[in-house]
Amino acid sequence: MTDASMEHIEAHAAHDAHAAAKHEAQRIDNLKFGMWVFLASEVVLFTVLIATFLAWRVVNSELVHEVHEATGIWLVSLNTFLLLASSFAMVMGLREIQKGNRGGLMKWIGLTALLGAVFVGLQAVEYSILASHGVTIYSSEFGMRFYAPTAMHGAHVIVGVIWALYIVNKTRRGSYSSQNYIGIEIFGLYWHFVDVVWIILFTVIYLL
Amino acid sequence: MATVTAPLPGVQSHEENKLRISDYLKWSVDHKIIGVQYMVTSLIFFVIGGALVMLVRWELLTPALDLVQDGTQFNQLFTMHATVMIFLWIIPMFAGFGNYLIPLMLGAKDMAFPWLNALAFWMIPPAGILMLLGYFAGQAEAGWTSYPPLSTLFSPGDGQTMWAIAIHVLGLSSILGALNFIVTIRNMRAEGMGYFQMPLFVWGILATSLIIVMATPFLAGGLTLLILDRVAGTAFFNPAQGGDVLLWQNVFWFYSHPAVYIMVMPGFGILSEVLSAHSRKSIFGYRAIALSSLAIALLGFTVWAHHMFTSLMPSLRIPFMLTSMIIAVPTGIKIFSWIGTIWGGKIRLTSAMLFGLGFLSMFVIGGISGVMVAAVPFDLHVHDTYFVVSHFHFVLYGGSVLAIYAGVYHWYPKITGYMMDERLGKIHFWITYIAFFFTFFPMHMLGMLGMPRRVAVYAPEFQSLNAIVSISAFVLGLSTFIFLYNLVYSLYKKRIAGPNPWRVLTLEWATDSPPPAHNFHGDPVFFKNPYGFGTEAAYRYLEEQEKELGPSYPYTMEPEKRSVVTAPASTGD
Repeated sequence: MTDASMEHIEAHAAHDAHAAAKHEAQRIDNLKFGMWVFLASEVVLFTVLIATFLAWRVVNSELVHEVHEATGIWLVSLNTFLLLASSFAMVMGLREIQKGNRGGLMKWIGLTALLGAVFVGLQAVEYSILASHGVTIYSSEFGMRFYAPTAMHGAHVIVGVIWALYIVNKTRRGSYSSQNYIGIEIFGLYWHFVDVVWIILFTVIYLL
Repeated sequence: MATVTAPLPGVQSHEENKLRISDYLKWSVDHKIIGVQYMVTSLIFFVIGGALVMLVRWELLTPALDLVQDGTQFNQLFTMHATVMIFLWIIPMFAGFGNYLIPLMLGAKDMAFPWLNALAFWMIPPAGILMLLGYFAGQAEAGWTSYPPLSTLFSPGDGQTMWAIAIHVLGLSSILGALNFIVTIRNMRAEGMGYFQMPLFVWGILATSLIIVMATPFLAGGLTLLILDRVAGTAFFNPAQGGDVLLWQNVFWFYSHPAVYIMVMPGFGILSEVLSAHSRKSIFGYRAIALSSLAIALLGFTVWAHHMFTSLMPSLRIPFMLTSMIIAVPTGIKIFSWIGTIWGGKIRLTSAMLFGLGFLSMFVIGGISGVMVAAVPFDLHVHDTYFVVSHFHFVLYGGSVLAIYAGVYHWYPKITGYMMDERLGKIHFWITYIAFFFTFFPMHMLGMLGMPRRVAVYAPEFQSLNAIVSISAFVLGLSTFIFLYNLVYSLYKKRIAGPNPWRVLTLEWATDSPPPAHNFHGDPVFFKNPYGFGTEAAYRYLEEQEKELGPSYPYTMEPEKRSVVTAPASTGD
């Protein structure tokens, strides 16, 4: 093979590599931007539910306080802490895979899933305590406005837990690397969003 | 202007790209197949929705009850008519156009998320079927607006719940579709193509998608509460148990007013393409048209309560009246720009152009009656009368549906590779146009005289006008079959279109008809002004095509004069 044809092949390979890199960069940007657009629409969805609560809350302050006294704030504070911790675990997982450590990723994302699952479990405990005080979705004015947004949030947490387990499984089969972790980043965007929604719900429902 | 060096696609054999019908019945991630899937599905629902309204008009031929047993059946008929037409015909039909054309117009290989695209489509047929199956469980009967308590306490049938779930799913589908459009338009434009070099149809879809992403979740939230009210025993919309009926009206219209722009802005986009292409002139006021779409998208969120003038606090009426009237400004900018576009052009009265002009004329009437109902004193008089029915049919049929027809006649050659029959197209246009006018125009008078909407039984003095409306409606319904027949007939007639039968400069015409699997041979080269007819670059480009592909319209329209030169298919790269 002549040098000229070798050069030609190398130039072709460089061109292909360049095109592949460009394609990959576009894929990453598509995914990130797409997730942001999706989260924007999620913000609107939760706005409706939270506004429904708030519009009622401003004129019915005594009823809310009764409920607050019935449940106490310790359980939900613990739960909030757990969810915040899960976001931390999520960030640690991303850090590990950026360093190329798949084992670390699995551990931290596994912990994220576990904390999310415990959060849902404790929320179920709280629901049952409230129900035993007579606050159910169909029997009280507070109840319906409380259960709708928190359950919608809970459903998002459940989706997140399933997603995290899916990532753990994919990692075990060797899917991510220090070069390829966009899947974790996208999940991270979603998980942090779910976390932020909870902070707002916690503030609006329990602290105000 | 960009100098065009792209190889001409050439008229190549049809068999290579030939897709079988079974390819359209399967899961596919190709945006072109998904686009056609959207369109055909929507057309089926169009026929269903049309059949339902034929029954409505049959009932309204006479003042007394004759076709339906009772008011409930009548309520079910118009509820399903409206829901099917809005959520299963106009919105997905435009999504079909968007899917087919956006990647082509941008010079992209596909959408940003092909898999998500397919998912968004495949949510539609099950949701539509679920909604129609409500018939067996007590069909939804609260109107497409589904105001509580009509949709809660007074709708015992499970059909209403199925309706709400179906709309929920359709909403999710359109959010996912819109998200895909936004990302595609932002990231997948051909290298060097700026936002202001995109065809205006892309702008229409962009503005529409922004509205969908920001408004549809409102409906999702509202429907969630409505479904809870119906199945979980909550009372969000029941004042007797601490709820609020106006909450629904606010949430619903906060979505549904922007939704009327979802239903017409892609039509605006189609109109820009069709008017410019068939009058051989550059768009007048490109930026004005592009930016007024965004202005409408934004203003659309500030007007929702004009649907509630009769239920709202009187002090809030005036602000909403003003914002509603302001919407007429960006809309007017578009109308005048389109008139400027065809002004002095070399107009070719193709079927597509006829429907485009039909849109222009009828939409103006709908727009003007829109300003009328935006005025509080007038609205209080005609609220919930046939005047309103007339208004929104002028904008939705005279606007959206005529735009869809224009789009189909314009892009059918691209999608199938065959020309549509122009003679049938013109017959379709004239019957539709005249029957449309006599169906909906007398409704203005009925409304002014005080005939309420959504009634099966009416006062005898309204009979003669209602008879005109009903008979015209039947003609209008039949005229649709000319169109459907033409769609199928042209497919068998096989009058080959070639890559660019209308001689247009936008990118979807710079490839084969139908386009190959990855849309283009090599990298497409675009015009900096996609409507730059008359520039030197465009002249040379079109002259070259004329040489290679044979003469364009009107010769391509007439079979005996058709001369298709089979140029050697270019290899691209």
